[in-house]
Amino acid sequence: MNKAILLKEWIKIRIILLVALVASFSATIYALLKINRVVSFKGGFHLWEIILTRDVVFIEVLKYIPLLLGVMFAVAQFVPEMTQKRLKLTLHLPYPHTQMIAMMLLSGISMLILIDLANVALMYVYLNSVLPVELLHRVLITSMPWYMGGIAAYAVVAWICLEPTRGRKVSALFVGLGVVYLFFASDYPQAYDNILGILLLVIVALFFFAQLSVARFKAGCQD
Amino acid sequence: MENIIECKNLTHYYGKRLIYKDLSFNVPKGRILGLLGKNGTGKTTTINILSGFLKPREGNCYIFGEDIQTMQPALRQNIGLLIEGHVQYTFMNIEEIERYYAAFYPNWNRTAYYELMAKLKIAPKQKISRMSCGQRSQVALGLILAQNPELLVLDDFSLGLDPGYRRLFIEYLYDFAKSEGKTIFLTSHIIQDMERLVDDCIIMDYGKILTQQPVTDLMNNFKRYTLSSDHAEAFKAMLEGNQLIYNPATRRDQLEFYSFADQREIGEILAPMQLPTQQLACETMNLEDIFIGLTGKY
Repeated sequence: MNKAILLKEWIKIRIILLVALVASFSATIYALLKINRVVSFKGGFHLWEIILTRDVVFIEVLKYIPLLLGVMFAVAQFVPEMTQKRLKLTLHLPYPHTQMIAMMLLSGISMLILIDLANVALMYVYLNSVLPVELLHRVLITSMPWYMGGIAAYAVVAWICLEPTRGRKVSALFVGLGVVYLFFASDYPQAYDNILGILLLVIVALFFFAQLSVARFKAGCQD
Repeated sequence: MENIIECKNLTHYYGKRLIYKDLSFNVPKGRILGLLGKNGTGKTTTINILSGFLKPREGNCYIFGEDIQTMQPALRQNIGLLIEGHVQYTFMNIEEIERYYAAFYPNWNRTAYYELMAKLKIAPKQKISRMSCGQRSQVALGLILAQNPELLVLDDFSLGLDPGYRRLFIEYLYDFAKSEGKTIFLTSHIIQDMERLVDDCIIMDYGKILTQQPVTDLMNNFKRYTLSSDHAEAFKAMLEGNQLIYNPATRRDQLEFYSFADQREIGEILAPMQLPTQQLACETMNLEDIFIGLTGKY
C-alpha cells in the first residue's frame, strides 16, 4: 500500500520534479559560474577576503529557489486532491488517514530534500576546490535556512490546500507567510546558526496543522 | 433480515438551516435502496454521513454494525464509494489507476475492471482527464466492481451521463448486485433510472422522510385521482390539509390529487364534501409521477 501511495504522488509530481531539477541546477550553476569568474579574474584569495570582510557568500541568488520549489511541489500534490473534493477518495481507502497524509507529505519532502541535496552536493564539489573548509562550511551553513524555508513553504501550502474552509485558508496563509518569513529574514552569513533546531521544530508543527485540516475535512467542515 | 446500514435519529444543520431531524432508516442485506428527494433535501448530506465525511449533529450511523465515525480502516475494504460526478484521479490513466487501487483491496478483481474498459474506445495510456464524462463514469464503475465490496454507496450516479451510458451503468450495476447479493445505497436525479434499478426507495422532503417502502408496493398503492368539475378550485381548497391527500392541484376545470388510500376510502373522504365522486378517475403511476405526487412540483 505504501508503494501505491508513493506511486500516486510520483505521478502527480514527476513533471514538476523535472522542472525543479532543471531550474535549481541552472540557478546553482549560474551562482558557481559567478564565483568562478571572480576566481579567474582576481584569484582565490580575493574571493576568501570578500567572503570574510563583506559578509557575503556569493550564492545569494539561490536564496528563494528552495521556497519556489516547496510551493511548486505542494501545489502539484495537493491542489489535485482538493479539486472536486477528491481527498474523499483518498480518505475512503482502507488505510489509516493520518498515516496516509503523512505518507503523502513525506513523499513530497523527500523529493524536495533530494533536489536540495543534489544542489548542495554540486556546490560542495566546486567550492571545495576554491575555498578552505571553514569558508566552505560558512557558505553552505548560510544556505541551510533557505532550504529549510523551502520545506516550511511546502508545509504551509499543503496546509492551505488541505484546509476545507476559506476563512481558515486565509488565516493559514497569513500565519504561513509570517512563519516562512522567519527563514529568510536575515541576510547575514550564519545568522541562524543557533536557532536551526528551533526552525526544525517550527517545520514539524506546520505538518501537524496540515493533519488538523484533514481532520476538519473529514468532520465535514465547509463554507 | 440483516441490516447492512442502520441510521438512527440523524439530525443535521448547515449553520442554522435544518437539513433533517430524527431521520432513521435501515438498508437490509442484498437490497438496492434509492434515496430520492428534490435538490437541497439532504441526499448528498446523507451520503457524506454514510461515507464518514460528515459528522451529524445528532444520531448515529452503523455500517456492518460498526459506527462509521469510529470505523476501522480495514472495514472500508467492503464499502465501494462513488462520489457525485464520478470523481476519480484524473491525472492517472486507466492502467495506473487500476494498479493504484489494487494495492488496497485483497479481493481485487482486475478482470472485471478490464472487461468494462475494453468496451470503451480509449487508448491504454489515455489520461482520465481527457475522457468524456461517460467514459469516466465507466472507469469509476469498473474500479468499484473490481473492488468487489459488499456495500456500494453511489451519489448521483447518473449525473452528466447520456442515455446510453446511463443504461450501461445500470445494467452492469444491477447484474453485479443481483448475481452476488450486494447491497446498494444510491441517489440519482433521474428517477426513471431508479425505477429500473432499485428494490426499495426512500422519498425525502425538506427535513423528513415522506415514505420508505419497496418500489413495487409504492407503485401499486400510491395513486393519482382526477375529477372534472366547474368548482375544482373550491374542492381543492377543501382537500388541502387532509392527511391522506397529497398535493391537490387544479388544471383548468380538473382537480388532481394523490393518495395511498384506495378508491373506496377516497370516496368516503369526498362524500361529505358533496364532490361528484362518480366522475372520479384513479390511476397508478410510474416512479417519477409518484415522486412528483408525493413531493409536489415546487
